[in-house]
Amino acid sequence: MNEGSFAALRGQLQEAAAEFADGPDALEGILLGIVDDVDRAVREPLEIFPVCHHSPASALAMARRLREKQPKVVYLELCEDMAPLLTELRNCRLPVAVQAFATEVDGFPTDWAPLSVVAPITEASAEYQAIAYALDTPGVELVLVDRSSDHVFQWQENTDRASGPDDPDAPPAEEESALHGDAVGVEIGDLRPRFAELEEHLLRHGKVRHWSEWWHQYVELPLGDADHDTYRQVMLLIGSLFRRLAPGEAHRVRVDEDRERYMWTRMRRHLADTGTDPADALYVCGAFHAASRVAEFGVHGTDTFEITPPTGTKWQHGLIPSSHAAIEAQFGLAAGSVSIAATQWAKNLRRTRVEPYRLTGQAGRGKAAKKTATAPAVPAPAGQGPAPDRLTGFLRRPPVLDRLDEEELLGWSVEIVRAARRNGYLASTADAIAVFETSILLAGMRDRAKPTPYDFQDAAITCIEKDSVPGRRDVRRLVEIMLGGDRVGQVGYDALPPLARDVHDRLAPLGLKLQQRGVQRALLDMASRPELEACSDVLWMLRRLMPHGAARPVMGERRLGERSVQESWDLALGTHQRALIELGYEGVSIEQVLEQRLRRTAYGPQATTAKVLEAVEDATLYLRSRRLADELGGRALEVLATERSVDGAPEVLRRVRALLAYYRTSEPSLPAWIESFVKTGYAHYCTLLPTAFTDDDASARQVAAMLGFLFSMEGLALSLGCDRSQLELAVAQSHPEDPAKTALLWAARTHLGTLSRADLRERIAHLLGNPLVVPAYPRYLNGFLHALEPVPGLADFVVEAVSQAFAALPDPVLLPWLPTLISGLRGSGAELAPLLIREAGRVFPARLAELDSWVPPWKAEPAPARRAARGTTGPRGLPLLAAHPATCDALAELLGCDGGWTTEEPGTPAAVGAELLARHPETAQALELLLSTT
Amino acid sequence: MSDLLRAPAEIKYAEELDWLESVDDNPKPFSWRLSPKMIRLFILGSERADGLDREISQKWFGDRSIVERAIVTLASDRGLLLIGDPGTGKSWLAELLAAAVCRNSTLVVQGTAGTTEDHIKYSWNVSMVIAKGQSRESMIPSPIMTAMESGLIGRFEELTRSTSDVQDALISILSEKYISVPELDSDNIVFAKPGFSVIATANSRDRGVNDLSSALKRRFNFVRIPVVTNKKSEAEIVRFRTEELLRRHQIELDVPPTLLDVLLQSFADLRASAAAAGSDDEKLESALSTAEQIGVLEDAILHSNFFGERTLTARTLASSLVGSLARREPEDLAILNKYLHGVVEPRSKEEGGSWPEFLEGGRDTIATLS
Repeated sequence: MNEGSFAALRGQLQEAAAEFADGPDALEGILLGIVDDVDRAVREPLEIFPVCHHSPASALAMARRLREKQPKVVYLELCEDMAPLLTELRNCRLPVAVQAFATEVDGFPTDWAPLSVVAPITEASAEYQAIAYALDTPGVELVLVDRSSDHVFQWQENTDRASGPDDPDAPPAEEESALHGDAVGVEIGDLRPRFAELEEHLLRHGKVRHWSEWWHQYVELPLGDADHDTYRQVMLLIGSLFRRLAPGEAHRVRVDEDRERYMWTRMRRHLADTGTDPADALYVCGAFHAASRVAEFGVHGTDTFEITPPTGTKWQHGLIPSSHAAIEAQFGLAAGSVSIAATQWAKNLRRTRVEPYRLTGQAGRGKAAKKTATAPAVPAPAGQGPAPDRLTGFLRRPPVLDRLDEEELLGWSVEIVRAARRNGYLASTADAIAVFETSILLAGMRDRAKPTPYDFQDAAITCIEKDSVPGRRDVRRLVEIMLGGDRVGQVGYDALPPLARDVHDRLAPLGLKLQQRGVQRALLDMASRPELEACSDVLWMLRRLMPHGAARPVMGERRLGERSVQESWDLALGTHQRALIELGYEGVSIEQVLEQRLRRTAYGPQATTAKVLEAVEDATLYLRSRRLADELGGRALEVLATERSVDGAPEVLRRVRALLAYYRTSEPSLPAWIESFVKTGYAHYCTLLPTAFTDDDASARQVAAMLGFLFSMEGLALSLGCDRSQLELAVAQSHPEDPAKTALLWAARTHLGTLSRADLRERIAHLLGNPLVVPAYPRYLNGFLHALEPVPGLADFVVEAVSQAFAALPDPVLLPWLPTLISGLRGSGAELAPLLIREAGRVFPARLAELDSWVPPWKAEPAPARRAARGTTGPRGLPLLAAHPATCDALAELLGCDGGWTTEEPGTPAAVGAELLARHPETAQALELLLSTT
Repeated sequence: MSDLLRAPAEIKYAEELDWLESVDDNPKPFSWRLSPKMIRLFILGSERADGLDREISQKWFGDRSIVERAIVTLASDRGLLLIGDPGTGKSWLAELLAAAVCRNSTLVVQGTAGTTEDHIKYSWNVSMVIAKGQSRESMIPSPIMTAMESGLIGRFEELTRSTSDVQDALISILSEKYISVPELDSDNIVFAKPGFSVIATANSRDRGVNDLSSALKRRFNFVRIPVVTNKKSEAEIVRFRTEELLRRHQIELDVPPTLLDVLLQSFADLRASAAAAGSDDEKLESALSTAEQIGVLEDAILHSNFFGERTLTARTLASSLVGSLARREPEDLAILNKYLHGVVEPRSKEEGGSWPEFLEGGRDTIATLS
């Protein structure tokens, strides 16, 4: 080994350290350590290729090196479990992200779920070059060596989860930047100073605003044309510099070192297993990791690292669309930096005429690479000897200033003015001149011979941006778009998971290009094209499963028992491709996913009866699965039996009513579960009723809903064997104190017949007559309003009570109550108000003229009249019965009663009861026994 | 120390500017006294790495690129319009720029509703006109005209406060770079010399009062000065301005850093509550700018110097805060009362320090005012 490569540099640095730090100390340690790191990495038999993420210079150097060296094995710093997916990249339009996803976690805290790791891949990156080379060159193996997605979370500290990217330069959360969701991002070659002061220092002295600009200016441009050795040594130097100057927080360092140990352990194992010569391999990793000092480093490193087994979590893998903005947001890069890198890449390619690697069949702009046809002849492999010292020259050289490319700048200036005009700015040729001039002046002021894209951006803002932004985009954004713009990737059909493919296949009859981004309108006329019904089913399921906006019905409804004949939809499946792909991790068809989700909701620990009933409804609506609906219905029954609160009563009532109505109209018989549900519910709510009446936590609305359930399901419940006395007893046991609930109870008793209308009216009159309780009257009324739900027949009475309130309540009581009345009526939905209004319309005169002569029905002394009427009704039926006893006898015979119709002998009414008693003495005997024993 | 109450920047920093001019070997545009890089250095302060023999203090706090863009605009043929909320340091930046470029920051036109075209162009000395007739001698040039004649920077403060027709008088000045004087038969055009430019300031809160015409907008480069929200730089600004103030009043008083923190924190809290407020009644009338903070501190310092015990206390600070910010009778006082009880009280229990005293002072002042 030649140890003298860097001897000269070492000497110089030693001198420098001595001069600046007054003697050998930490500075010398750091400076010489850096050289040691570079030296060590360069001398490693397995060639290390340091890269930086989204760096065109890295990509270019990579493409060159691959052509030159033609390695047989490429080791890549990327989660090892993502390997099988990489070949699918050829079906996508970049940038896309490789994703590992787990919904059900095993071995991690449950609140971490769902776990998601994404590794975005852009075309202007070294990793894509490596992947494209390895996959398309026969006989070359690509080995991913970084820790698996599982380890990403294994090594993560609990506290890490909460923190998100926190960068002041982060772009506003737009749709494009949210493409990755809340996934944890991993990328190859994360290279950035790890302590804020160093970064600040570099930015200040580089006269740049953010890190991406610094990198572009001081690394990207100078390295654009550098040869392999220079590139490699400079990257190693930067990696080592950041590493030695700023170790960062302890946990992060440990994870980084563990990753290095992991990678080297994997590589050594692979080399040993396959017998590959290290000289035939290339190890692509971030410059930060290339300058590692762990003991496991190198082909001859120690084998002391124990790779922990993965947890039981089941990981799913797929490709999701990504975008430049999403990458910038995820990794805290400046807005537009990835786009500028992409533009730089294209420019570098044109200038250097390097033929990049490109996966065959890769979708995207630009022509597919003509492989090998135009590739320059592979130069002779580099000498096997140690690399010469390129660092000294590079470090001593003044910064390479790019030539002023006047044509390009002029083009930009004209272009931005045109773009600004299109976006509503009053920009003219004069502005183009000013932008051009200002760019040069700004660059001069910042010690640059040529304006960078960032200088140009500043100049454009200065000259064109005025006090307000006329359109949707400001000049900053326009410049970003002009210099490459955000590019949103797309996952091709073949790379989609089966579920997503299935969805696209099933929606094919719509004849829309759903893969494309943007909203598309679908018109479904099921009457003329019945085959579209299947599409409609898919769309409704997508609406249920996907985020808002992916599938939005404009016209058409799907409710129990209803089907639309025509529907129209706004579809944005291309825009929400990630959500669709993530659905694909949960199952192979949307039906399966929906079924799973419904089951999960129903069997989850948080499930309430109302939620389970909703799931039943969804199963019927979207899946039309009687089997699942029955199963979930059974579950609803279980949940109801264990529920002790009445919070969900209104919802339960609403849903059971709807389901009952549906089953009654569309099925020959009611499902068993709903019969048991009604039976159980009847008993359940009877039991809870007395407590609910007194419980402060239960609102009048909830109690009303319980009563509603009891009264409206009563017919069914009784036919199924329930006993009405249970309800009567429950009502009798209820002793509410709250005025609203008291009113509810009165209404219930009226319904049950234990309280007459006259008594009810009397109580109201009493309330209004007592000055001490008048202030509470509105609260009673509130109860009566709610009573409309269980006892709709009371509507006329409620109108009367409300009218009385308006007539009799003093203003200080009435006025504060009015808003409560209105909000109460509005809040209780569409059911109560129409009922009340209809009734009021019936009671009150329809014309103004009639008002003068109008007397409210309740003041019209109706009681005597009604009593008289009743008097005449009674005897009217009785003589009829007596005259024709045959019907009665037949009925009695049918019911098994013996004895025929007997006309009552006048004068012996008492004997009837006694006779009954004599015929059935058991009751009396039992009572006697009971009384004597107690 | 000069005997002026407030010396303009070119006098105040005369010595620094002289020195910078003597070491400046970069190319200078037009008749500028300093090169653009030196101007930037003068405004933003020097660092060790600049390799200067002496330290240049930072005079304006804000983004470097704002200053660069402003300087570059002055070197181009467009005017510079600094736009921003009140109290963001627009006028101060304009003054520093003018002082650094041409050593004269006093050629100022103040835009008001009463500004007329005469204030921008020229007017006549009536008695001289009667005595000698209209001639160049009897003409009174405006500050802008003076700047044109001598190739200096003219300033126009609060451009949007003056009416549109007055504003439009600037259009020909900025594009043709001359003013014609039709009253004179000969020598009736005043041409601008190289180096002439205009720095205008506009308050973004005044937008819509007298909107600039698009012709005028085209002749200005807009540089927006954002409100400082970064606590660190805000502390820096307040400290810097306060020190200047103490020097000006020749007051020997110590501002304890904890009190500065209390002031910054309370402004940050009030800003947060103003941002969350639904209607104008729920937020203070004050814009809560950095300048306002300086005002509060200045008030407190002067009060404790002349009426107090020559030390700044949290009590004085609180009373000056309430006094400065309560402008509308019931609304502002109610907000401050709510702030003191809802935010300061729990904090004074939790953190202690100067907060309890601050709370007490605030309460007393509110009691006195209401």
